[in-house]
Amino acid sequence: MNAEIALVLSRIVELAPGIREFWLTREDGGELPAYSGGSHIVLSLPLPGGIRRNPYSLVGDPNDHQKWRIAVRRQEQSRGGSAWLHESAREGQSIKVSMPANLFPMARLARHHILVAGGIGVTPIVSHARELARLGESFEVHYAHRAPEFGVLTNELRQLAGSDLYCYVASRNETIDFRELLNGRPLGTHAYLCGPQGMVEDFHKTARDMGWPDTHVHSERFLAPPPGEAFTVRLARSARELVVKSDQSMLEALEAAGTEPPFLCRGGACGQCETEVVACDSTIQHNDLFLSQAERDSGRKIMPCVSRLSGGCITINL
Amino acid sequence: MSAAAPSIKSQPVYRPLEWDTAGASHLLFVAADDRPLLDRLLAAPPHGELAVVVADPIAAERLGKTTAAAQMVLRHDLSDGLKSLESIVQKAHMGLRLYLVGPEDAIWQAAGIAARYGMLSPEIRLFQTGTKARPVFCVHCRAMTRGVRTNLVDCSGCGRTLFVRDHFSRRLGAYMGFQIDAEEPGVKPPVEVAYP
Ligand code: FES
Repeated sequence: MNAEIALVLSRIVELAPGIREFWLTREDGGELPAYSGGSHIVLSLPLPGGIRRNPYSLVGDPNDHQKWRIAVRRQEQSRGGSAWLHESAREGQSIKVSMPANLFPMARLARHHILVAGGIGVTPIVSHARELARLGESFEVHYAHRAPEFGVLTNELRQLAGSDLYCYVASRNETIDFRELLNGRPLGTHAYLCGPQGMVEDFHKTARDMGWPDTHVHSERFLAPPPGEAFTVRLARSARELVVKSDQSMLEALEAAGTEPPFLCRGGACGQCETEVVACDSTIQHNDLFLSQAERDSGRKIMPCVSRLSGGCITINL
Repeated sequence: MSAAAPSIKSQPVYRPLEWDTAGASHLLFVAADDRPLLDRLLAAPPHGELAVVVADPIAAERLGKTTAAAQMVLRHDLSDGLKSLESIVQKAHMGLRLYLVGPEDAIWQAAGIAARYGMLSPEIRLFQTGTKARPVFCVHCRAMTRGVRTNLVDCSGCGRTLFVRDHFSRRLGAYMGFQIDAEEPGVKPPVEVAYP
């Protein structure tokens, strides 16, 4: 479960202020497994306080078996992961990486694809664009970013989408009008967005208002686990107890204690880490995008990658 | 008794038809003149543009006189009706909802056209009404025999006598037909009208 391979950080490129690209290659120069457009990998970053596992979308060419590429923006409120990649990571360093998983796949039967990227959300969009270009599919790309220098990967997108790449630069007061973007599209069009949470919500809402069914609107968002009060976790099956520190996620605390709960996204989206709650003497803060309201209300389930307790103690079936 | 639940899960279940208020425009395809249903639907049309394609002589006659939809296409048989449906779907935009009313043969052929243009099940509502005659797919020669009302039918492709199963394929829009006397040639149950 959660198989990892050791790769080398073979190259670090400064793409823009606060945005770095990393290449990951095999130590023996051998081939890497294939992945599909939209996939992500989880890096195990050796932070001073312990391992931090963060998901990153693969940006490269899914057919490139020599290297995996990711682009990382330094998060202002970094929990240490992106800061480490920006300050401490060195070329040549070895790093543990999970196998690629795809939570943001393309609709194979679409007649046309509209790809939308907001900021660093451009990363999975590039790998989608690459795959669509290779398949000869009909697609267009819309890329919104803060200022011209933050339009990283624009050249790659230009090569793939040509005149069907549209850029929107906030510093020039350019914004995407979703209503206009989604208006009058032929049946069978699928729209994809990766960007900040507010943009994702706006996108889904506009599409819904315009009669698009959810089956045709796709988005990817990984939440970073929010910090909070420390709390205690009791493992019902092994009768153990551990403490989740305030800057730690429950999943991280479980891993630090030597258990290996399953995960894919570590961002509350995939459902893989779903854990049964046996008892809880405080309130669960559900931060995931996965559980239904009814499941939340039942108090029987928690997604430990992003959700936590406001103090107190929770007993889980693990 | 005949209203019993479908004996096999693969047989489609049709819910009472309502307009989908999430849609921005609507296309109603009528292949049987189910008067109460159509009158109820058309008396309270949905928000947004409504187009109606009729593929049945009786419904065409009646609705042609009584209905005012933004777009109304009256055809007197199924194949013309399906062609009209396709030409509209081809040019239609996201936000459209498709409502298919009629015998299973008609509505599943229409659903197949919609699927070819990328429509997915949340955009399509089907309602079976009119004849219960079945389209039957021969699992031996892959020919389609339409309008089957009996439990046994001679395949239009290979001539084998097929037993009509309740197993329905949504992809093919048809029930599966298996050769009945494969084991003992000539031994067949009596032919009965099963799908009036
Ligand atoms: S790992 Fe995906 S929801 Fe927790």
